[in-house]
Amino acid sequence: MTYVDAIRSKTTGISIRNINLSYGPLRVLKDVNLEIRSGEFFAFLGPSGCGKTTLLRAIAGFNTPQTGSVLIGGREVLSLPPWKRDIGMVFQSYALWPHMSVWKNVAFGLEERGQPKVEINQRVDDALGLVGLTHLGARRPSQLSGGQQQRVALARTIAVQPTVLLLDEPLSNLDASLRVQVRRDILAMQRRLGLTTIFVTHDQEEANTICDRIAVMKDGVVQQVGTPMELYDNPVNLFVGSFLGTANILNGSMRSNGREQIFELPCGSQFPVPAGHIDGAKLFFRPQSTRLAMVEDAARTGVVRLKGCVSHKEFLGAAVRYGIRTEGGEVFADIPHARGEAQVPDDHIVGIDIPLNRINYLPA
Amino acid sequence: MSLITKTDAVVRPAFAVRLGRIALGQYASAALIALFLIVFLVVPVLTVITAAFQAKGSGSFTLINFYDFALNDLLRRSLWNSLYVSCMAVLWATVLALPLAYITTRFEFKGALLIQTLGVIPLIMPPFAGAIAMQLLFGRNGSINLLLGDWFGINIPVMEGLSGVIFVQSVHYFPFILINLSTSLRNIDSAMEEAAQNLGAHGFRLFRRIVFPLAMPGYIAGSSLVFVKVFDDLATPLLLNVQDMLAPQAFLRITSIGISDPIGYVIAVMLIIFSVFALWLASFATRGKDYSTIQRGGGGLSKRQMTRVDALFAYGLIIFILAIVLAPHIGLLLLSLATIWSYSPLPDDYTFAHYLTIFDESPQLITNTLIYATLAGVIGVTLGTAISYLVARTKVLGAQWLDYIAMSALAVPGVVLGMGYLRTYYDVQLPWGGSLAAFWGMIAIALGVRRLPYALRACSAALQQVSVSLEEAAENIGATKTASIRRIVVPLMTGGIVAGFVTSFATAAVELSATMMLVQSTANAPLSYGLYVFIQSPAGRGPGAALGVIAVIIVGVCTYLSHAYLERRTALPARDDGH
Amino acid sequence: MKRRDFLIGSCFAPIILSFPAKAQEGRQTLSVVTSLPKELSSAYKAAFEKKNPNISVEIQQRGTQAAVTFLRETKSKSSTDIFWASAPDAFEVLKAEGLLEKFTPSETGVPAKIGEYPINDPEGYYAGFALSGAAIMWNLRYIRANRLPQVKSWDELALAPLFDHVAMAMPSRSGSTHLTLETMLQARGWKDGWTLIKSICGNMRLITERSYGVPDGVTSGQFGYGVVLDYQALASRGAGFPVEFVHPSDTTIVPSNIGVVKNGPNTAAARQFIEFMLSEDGQVLLFKPSVGRLPVRPASYKQAPAGTPNPFEIKWGATGGFKFNVELSEKRYAVVDALFDQTITFQLDALKSAVKTIHKVEAKLADRKNADAAALIAKARGAIAQMPFDEQQAASKEFTDAFHGSSNTGKGARQAELEQQWASFARDNYAKAQQLANKAEELAI
Repeated sequence: MTYVDAIRSKTTGISIRNINLSYGPLRVLKDVNLEIRSGEFFAFLGPSGCGKTTLLRAIAGFNTPQTGSVLIGGREVLSLPPWKRDIGMVFQSYALWPHMSVWKNVAFGLEERGQPKVEINQRVDDALGLVGLTHLGARRPSQLSGGQQQRVALARTIAVQPTVLLLDEPLSNLDASLRVQVRRDILAMQRRLGLTTIFVTHDQEEANTICDRIAVMKDGVVQQVGTPMELYDNPVNLFVGSFLGTANILNGSMRSNGREQIFELPCGSQFPVPAGHIDGAKLFFRPQSTRLAMVEDAARTGVVRLKGCVSHKEFLGAAVRYGIRTEGGEVFADIPHARGEAQVPDDHIVGIDIPLNRINYLPA
Repeated sequence: MSLITKTDAVVRPAFAVRLGRIALGQYASAALIALFLIVFLVVPVLTVITAAFQAKGSGSFTLINFYDFALNDLLRRSLWNSLYVSCMAVLWATVLALPLAYITTRFEFKGALLIQTLGVIPLIMPPFAGAIAMQLLFGRNGSINLLLGDWFGINIPVMEGLSGVIFVQSVHYFPFILINLSTSLRNIDSAMEEAAQNLGAHGFRLFRRIVFPLAMPGYIAGSSLVFVKVFDDLATPLLLNVQDMLAPQAFLRITSIGISDPIGYVIAVMLIIFSVFALWLASFATRGKDYSTIQRGGGGLSKRQMTRVDALFAYGLIIFILAIVLAPHIGLLLLSLATIWSYSPLPDDYTFAHYLTIFDESPQLITNTLIYATLAGVIGVTLGTAISYLVARTKVLGAQWLDYIAMSALAVPGVVLGMGYLRTYYDVQLPWGGSLAAFWGMIAIALGVRRLPYALRACSAALQQVSVSLEEAAENIGATKTASIRRIVVPLMTGGIVAGFVTSFATAAVELSATMMLVQSTANAPLSYGLYVFIQSPAGRGPGAALGVIAVIIVGVCTYLSHAYLERRTALPARDDGH
Repeated sequence: MKRRDFLIGSCFAPIILSFPAKAQEGRQTLSVVTSLPKELSSAYKAAFEKKNPNISVEIQQRGTQAAVTFLRETKSKSSTDIFWASAPDAFEVLKAEGLLEKFTPSETGVPAKIGEYPINDPEGYYAGFALSGAAIMWNLRYIRANRLPQVKSWDELALAPLFDHVAMAMPSRSGSTHLTLETMLQARGWKDGWTLIKSICGNMRLITERSYGVPDGVTSGQFGYGVVLDYQALASRGAGFPVEFVHPSDTTIVPSNIGVVKNGPNTAAARQFIEFMLSEDGQVLLFKPSVGRLPVRPASYKQAPAGTPNPFEIKWGATGGFKFNVELSEKRYAVVDALFDQTITFQLDALKSAVKTIHKVEAKLADRKNADAAALIAKARGAIAQMPFDEQQAASKEFTDAFHGSSNTGKGARQAELEQQWASFARDNYAKAQQLANKAEELAI
């Protein structure tokens, strides 16, 4: 069996059930429940202090939840010390041991498992080969660049063929220019190995571009779990919605006018709410869901029309983002940029058209 | 919008000129330090040990004394014994220090601060009184053996011969390893440990493969100090009546009244050479090991939690070790409160009378001791920081030699230094009358010079763990070299500086051999001298011990304050989710 | 930071304020360097200051060796007026180096000699002010617990039951011990004297570097018996410790001395002090239990407390009327010291091991006679008693030159060479003795 096959066949899913963790009076994780499938590239996404790293460290065994269980491949791991969980973890600082060469760093886990020398040699070479650092085995960590160090850290965990891989903000210590490339490399490797991976980050772009599913966390609570697209298009609350991308949020209230549900803005404008929407107090839509129209033109059906005044524009490359002051508040409209196309000048009154099916109604 | 506004007033001089200025400053500092060492160490010592190179009687230059040394059975045996005792002392000191250091620095442990303070106290062994107390407790007819003899009919000869020296020295000097190792251990990123645990290591393997290698600079600093100090120590073997070791042989011959024996000075020269060599070896072993940690927003230095069972075991071990190393001081306390203590496990009766006896003299003695010890500590850490910076961070030629010369002070017996000061400076008159050698400041300087090696090693180890890039970052923002040293490097070295200060202070507070040579009036005398005067008669054992207890308390309190200050400065919250 | 600086700064205040401790409105200062215990020096300081209120006595205590070194190094402008110690050898050295000032006390009640030993320096550089006798001291609890006998003479220290229970100081570090041994050598002869010394030393637990280490150890109960000076035992007993002592009949009387340092700052006051010491009032102070010494004025003994021995009424020497030869003692002083150290102090383990086996065999032979074994034991003892040179050589010019250095270096052996020779000689002989004793042990089963 090849190295890659060995990993692929060994990997399993993770079940996280009813995890509660507190430091003294401070509740850091509250009733966390997650199911991660085998082979999935899963992200814990959230701002500082949301508990994502705490959750990761709980899975790895570096803190102890007061309640709950974590099952890896059906096996309860919370009662096991970190060195028995067969989990690979890459730390944010990489934590490469400066007194050992790259080769020795990678070989460490295998030596701890008491593997024979021949086996160790083979696996270290495989692991270094996977990350493309075979020629750097004799170097010391201090002699490597940030990107190389990270790859060594990866190789070190992969060498022991763990069932699951945990990555704690692996890209945050890299230059911006490197990040895009490195995240693609990580994705490629994950696909190749088919290794169940949890990726902790505060950057939604990273999570969106490479992960299969994301759990968005805030204040110790899992807000929503889903694919990037699901979360982006159908957030369950404002937090998730605005965390995953720029959003337009307008206040209002939902009420019935007898025949149907309508959403009313404070200024008075109303729109019908299609059936099946929950009772929400905020109107939510993405900038790219909008079209600009001349105020005089009538609104088409199935479209909500807002009126506003262009206050400023930002050129985003693929689109021009218009900032428009409307009766309901400031609205961003991303209009695709085509070469040569004229832009609407500032202070112009325009109409903003938003298809009804591109509007979400979210709780306050 | 512009990002950075520079103040218009400062026009940065050309790069080469700034470089020149930095180098000039460094060379000037090096020259000042060299001058200090020459005036207060090299010259006085040389005036005394030139006798090693002189033929007896004629005074002409010769190496025949060294030849005689090599031929002499007793001296060869003494050399071997000294090496053996020093190595064994390092071993046992490690056994004592390691658990204390590891448990208190890497784990959440209640009372860690108290333990670190108590762990320093063995360094403060008041002269004579400490040895008497040890004999009373551990001697062949001491408390423990009397009880063992009564109950089990056995006798543990822990104070006999070379074993006795090893035992006393390990207990006395293990704090060097404790302090320096603790400093190193504190600076290890906990992610290093966690990464190893994640990959399957734990317990002893974790310690051996990851933690200990990373703490090497501190360990080597501490153990090389222990080795050299034990190798050069003459007081302990003499008090235990072991004469066939190098240092006591040197002392006996140098201080013999009637004959001037050049072999004594030959041994002194060899002690110095050996010590410097051992230290050079130690620095060679840590060269090139770049273990600096770059602090990333205070993320990684938190402590691990212990399980209940582990904690119980840890407490038990620590209490056991502390009981051993503090036994001399318990004995000292008993002696200070005892009426009669002779051939019995415990004193016959207790009294406070001895403390009343010393009541009148103690305030002066205490004040003097505090002044001398503080000055000695300050001299030690100032020079220590400067020299270690010059050696590690600059390209000043000969900086390494400053290190060697400063370290050689360890090997110079106090009596030789005292003699040297008298010989060199007695004729120098001070502007306000009186000889320079009689000036109380010389005592402080002598103590400082003798303690400089401790501070230097601690500062070196601390500096090794501060990354160069932190300094460079400061300079990049616009700080001058001096400012970056003052505001970045020195604060980050605080652990080592405090460690160096504490060891210098603690040992200077009870130093006697150089003090005895230089003290010329009781108004200038420190506690150790007062103790010595008392302990010469049977009725004075109690008061002498009482003075010893006071010395220990003073140093203990100062140590505790220093550690508390250090803990507060570097305290981090227990690891929780920062992001 | 600031608070700490303030704290340090405030510490300076008392020391600076205490600076003018010396000059106190018209009072003179008398500077004394002494190795004598505090009880003695403070008794005299108090009494003298009472009698001479315009003189303040400043006492600096130092070990004898440190004191001599100090006086040497400060000789260009000595800050000391008086040197005051128990060890006559230190005074000889200082005298030889010209560091003492000649002076004759006006006190007439002090005889020139005690037995044959001079109390004062015949050349007038130092005076004796007190006498002490060499004594054997023991710890009552120790000997009771170990069922050991009380002893009365030096010879008894060599007895088998006392093995590993005795202690003494190195004669090279303790002038009084040296004189005790020298007396033994002179009273019994070179060969017999060394034989006795070696058999006593075979029983030693340890040989200390500090002379005070011996009474201190007996006081603590560290060992059972010690070769001490009587006042040390008196002081310990007076402080309440369970010790006793005895003067062996052939003991030495060691004077304690005082001398005026040359070029001292206040020589006149120094002379006054010495005069006081030798006067009736001064001598009586020696009888204090915490001081425990004996006066040099025979007349003072009228006021002695009960039980105080009078050295002027005792016949000295094992044979009675033995004359102590001072010149001989001085001539071979360094040689005897070195010989003792090289053949006994630094070979103690080997010596003890051989003696231990000899004791064992002799105990067995007491029950069951065995001529062969007895012969071997006699040979073993003989081996131990062997000396590398005889009495003539001990005082020879060759040896004296080697130890004191002369301009003729190159001729004759060096000190280090001689020491090496003697050490090897002893080592080989002890090894031989051990072999013989082992063989005897096998035979004596």
